[in-house]
Amino acid sequence: MRRALLTTALLAALAAPAAAQATLDWSEAEIRLVGQHGPWPPPPARDPSNRVSATPVGIVLGEHLFSDARLSGDGLVSCATCHQEGRDWSDGRALGKGRADLDRRTPSLWNVGYSHWFGWSGAADSLWAHTIKPILDAREMAGSSARVARLLREDKELACGYERAFGRKPDGDDEQMLVNAAKALAAFQATLVSPRTRFDDFRDALMAGDREAAARYGQSEQRGLKLFIGEANCNACHFGPRFTNGEFGDIGIGFFVRPGEVDAGRLGGIAALADSPFNLLGRYNDDASGANARRTRHVRRLHSNFGEFRVPGLRQVGRSAAYMHNGSLATVEDVVRHYSEVSPDRLHSDGTPLVRALGLSAGQSSDLVAFLRSLDAAPPPRPSPPPLCP
Amino acid sequence: MRLLAALVAFFVTGPAWAGCPLDLGRGAGLVIFSDHYMIAFRPDPLRIEVGEPFALVFNVCTKSGTAGELVAVDAQMPEHKHAMNYHPSIVAKGDGRFRAEGLVFHMAGHWEISIDVRAGEEIERLTHDFYIK
Repeated sequence: MRRALLTTALLAALAAPAAAQATLDWSEAEIRLVGQHGPWPPPPARDPSNRVSATPVGIVLGEHLFSDARLSGDGLVSCATCHQEGRDWSDGRALGKGRADLDRRTPSLWNVGYSHWFGWSGAADSLWAHTIKPILDAREMAGSSARVARLLREDKELACGYERAFGRKPDGDDEQMLVNAAKALAAFQATLVSPRTRFDDFRDALMAGDREAAARYGQSEQRGLKLFIGEANCNACHFGPRFTNGEFGDIGIGFFVRPGEVDAGRLGGIAALADSPFNLLGRYNDDASGANARRTRHVRRLHSNFGEFRVPGLRQVGRSAAYMHNGSLATVEDVVRHYSEVSPDRLHSDGTPLVRALGLSAGQSSDLVAFLRSLDAAPPPRPSPPPLCP
Repeated sequence: MRLLAALVAFFVTGPAWAGCPLDLGRGAGLVIFSDHYMIAFRPDPLRIEVGEPFALVFNVCTKSGTAGELVAVDAQMPEHKHAMNYHPSIVAKGDGRFRAEGLVFHMAGHWEISIDVRAGEEIERLTHDFYIK
């Protein structure tokens, strides 16, 4: 009933000259689809597999570790080397670079705590397990469980912070210490929630029937949003408040890393997940019920997983170039052009393809870009982390 | 309306199904038929959300009164011809009751669920359509 009234109100608004120039006509069905992209922000993320998730002492330990290069093999690379606060928790590069050049783009950490698969191929099923990978990877930080454990034991401040977070001195075996360091790092990363945006204000106004507030959202942005949830069907995968369904898709991006070598994407990710001692079926899952391992227990490996990569969330999308798993598109405009012109030869579908060349006009492309940029907002400055043991 | 039609069909088909309990704990849920089987089932939780794992709770009955077995449950989007990214597991709860765990509809739209049952050698497939918004 409220939505019907809103539709009426918006139609009435069209009759008024001032508002007629500012607010498009939104059907009840469209309002429902727009509403699915909020509210924002969601409640704080909490991971039952991580005993220090959402705990202040775990978060502060994780924040200190995040910028500590001593976690790396040569003492020169920290998490913050690639996930830079000033670059929206990414690095601004097309492809990541740790101790060596990498084959995939460094993803932004905004809203990462709300995911259920991690990394471009979903090779990890928890944020803490995913955090272990760059610490150990020889091309990224080239650390080791022994090095992490020694740091936590020997650094007085970190040892104190560890004891506050985990309720015991850092005296476990090296692998357990690595896992706990990663859990603290994950607790910190899960606090990185992107700010509200112009889109959120419009969405809330639309849902509340506040036509004056809704009219502050630009017409181009509104037309782009209509395309996004309508003809272009972007919301089939970019669904929900984070603009991702958290799963994987093949959208026609090349998967050759170099001549003769491919990135198998999700197909390889599922294999790596199964082989990992840190997955949620293993002994480091703090959720004794095992309920949080349902996806891991039931995930299915399909031939179609080859060349699929994680559907990224779109909040802050305009601030975190480059794009796609391999950073092959430099701008938001390039991304929209890709979807407008993608070749059907590059896509595999037995039925009606989810991704098809949209054939957008210049005006439509511009509208879609305007809408995507309305998902950006400048974050407030972060205070320095509090001391580990005041 | 679909449930009402199924229940009407159930009662006019005669007493053969009379011993089949429809109660799945929170009411009957959905009921589908074939010549040989009647299956009552409901999602758990009752509302299926895009991208969220859910289970299906089943009660499998046969017209002959012999024990029916739930062999497999799967789902696909017929329009796009793609399956779920997850493979459900089935646990028998006794007395024709089963629980299929680990289903996820990762997109909104039309999903066709397939339910494979048997009460002997041959497997029969029944289907049901879900429309997820």
